[in-house]
Amino acid sequence: MNTDSSSKSPSYTITCRMNHEAAALERLCQVVRIRGFRIEKMAVETADGVLDIALTVQGTRSLTMLQSQLEKLHTVAEVILTTPVLAPAASLTA
Amino acid sequence: MNGAQHILEAFHRHNIQTVFGYPGGCIMPLYDALVDDVRVEHVLCRHEQGCALAADGYARASGRLGVCIATSGPGATNLITGVANAHRDSIPMLVITGQVPSALIGTDAFQETDVLGMTLGIVKHSYLVESADELPGILDGAMKLAQSGRPGPVWIDIPKDVLLTETTIAPITTPAPPPTACPDLTGAIALLRAARKPLLYSGGGISLAHSEDRFREFSECSELPAVVTLKGIGNPGKYSTHNLGMLGMHGSRAANRAVDECDLLLVIGARLDDRATGKLDGFAPNARTIHIDADAAEFNKLRNSELAIRGDLNAILDELTRALRETPLAINDWRKQCQTWRTTGGFQAADNEEPLAPITGPAFIRQLSRVAPDDTIIACDVGQHQMWVAQHYQFDHPRHHLTSGGLGTMGFGLPAAIGAQFADRQSTVLNVTGDGSFMMNAQELATIRRYSLPVKLIIMDNQCLGMVRQQQELFYNNRESQINLDDNPDFVAMARAFDIPALKIERTDQVRRGIETILAYNGPMLLHVAIAREGNVWPIVKPGGSNKEMIDETRRSAADKKERVA
Repeated sequence: MNTDSSSKSPSYTITCRMNHEAAALERLCQVVRIRGFRIEKMAVETADGVLDIALTVQGTRSLTMLQSQLEKLHTVAEVILTTPVLAPAASLTA
Repeated sequence: MNGAQHILEAFHRHNIQTVFGYPGGCIMPLYDALVDDVRVEHVLCRHEQGCALAADGYARASGRLGVCIATSGPGATNLITGVANAHRDSIPMLVITGQVPSALIGTDAFQETDVLGMTLGIVKHSYLVESADELPGILDGAMKLAQSGRPGPVWIDIPKDVLLTETTIAPITTPAPPPTACPDLTGAIALLRAARKPLLYSGGGISLAHSEDRFREFSECSELPAVVTLKGIGNPGKYSTHNLGMLGMHGSRAANRAVDECDLLLVIGARLDDRATGKLDGFAPNARTIHIDADAAEFNKLRNSELAIRGDLNAILDELTRALRETPLAINDWRKQCQTWRTTGGFQAADNEEPLAPITGPAFIRQLSRVAPDDTIIACDVGQHQMWVAQHYQFDHPRHHLTSGGLGTMGFGLPAAIGAQFADRQSTVLNVTGDGSFMMNAQELATIRRYSLPVKLIIMDNQCLGMVRQQQELFYNNRESQINLDDNPDFVAMARAFDIPALKIERTDQVRRGIETILAYNGPMLLHVAIAREGNVWPIVKPGGSNKEMIDETRRSAADKKERVA
């Protein structure tokens, strides 16, 4: 799978809330990688057994697919997508 | 009650009577507790991979939770292929491993591996238990999670000290969640009614939802022409006249043709896998899609649907049946067309009448299908024999056909057959395997012997890795590479070394008697079937190619001749 960090790949921000169990973050990161995205930035806050994660990811695949795969994780309570922070070059010129 | 006793108590509360495992250092407290517990039957396999695949076979044949147990380190890593196999085919499984004591985790202790970390991608969920107090809740949750929604393996890694710690927490059994209401199907029914050439496309999800009977009813009532995936084989029963068989790479011409021409695909409990669809660009080019599944993440993953419906297949099938019974679909021309294709484009295999002729794979499987009792469970391995079984054996129920679909695990069949025989002591259980696959878990012959399981083993021996050889022949200019197995051991002698009687056949006139002999024998028996090295699985779609471009033997021969003339 090509997860090359091309500057042409769009970036997106995602916020995710999940239970703070063992390997919670690894689980999240692995899904992002396997489903074809690369993490550019990550901020994590913990409170009362809950992790709040803000992710900026880059990739050319469908973001809704990434969302549905993240939502499938048993410990994930919520995934919110924001609009792309950088649209793909192709669509800018289209 | 200590942690180990809590595990056994949870088995009891969840009606788990059979588990497959292998002891070792860090899981010893559980094995110690087993000594005093008569409620659980522990099956000792000879390799942890055998334990996991047997638990998988048990779950597939019974529809119940499969359980496997191993120690830390190599015990856990040996489970991985079996658990990945269950994950890819959504098989409900509980995996329990011992871990080094909590204080030693992270110190590179003896037999320590980061089990949680290395298995994240092959489980539905996993836990590292940090205290005995949380164990009862985790056990209850894990068993429910493994079997709910889209099922899958749930792994609990338990440090040895947690197994030994006494806890005052009572065992926990929470009620099962109530069934969900049927989603709105108005749109789906309208699309079905608007279609002129609707096609039912179903997969393993039917069995995962325990919906086989409802599916059969829906199929009979709707009279929709139907295709099935590898895991859907057995639906909607072998007497269905609407079923065009398996689609895809080794599917029937009839099934692939119907997909190509249909104008609506009603996909139920299938994930549009690449072996089924072939090249996506050319797949069902004229069809709109209704996709019904328990897992929303499958929607629009590989093909966009006009309508995606997530829900309990039982409720959905009931509602669809009700609607179509009320007003049947007017698609008789399409039904007739599919019937014609079914007659002319099904799986072909000439039954060789020449008594001294070598045995061919398809003819052998067809004979097996005629002779074996109706309730026979066949656990396949992976390769040409697996496809011949899928193509030529007439299954009447999907739980009679155990096959490693998603992962394609050579070595699956023998332990899966063991699991199936524990799940169903009365039925005939056959492992149909190849000479390559058989050697991947042959140590489990000892398990068959130990428990006197009447499992029958059929090795279709072509002295090579046939499926790889076939693809090298067809797609790599016949450059054979590392597929030769002509130095196989003497399989008959090997079986006898495990005190399992065996016989070998190599001619067509020996087939029927060979099959009847092993089926009639009151105990395990092995049939070594010598088949031609050059036999291929037909038809075939080139990997990555479109299902429209199926290659069959006749066409290949014609192409060969042209090439030679040129």
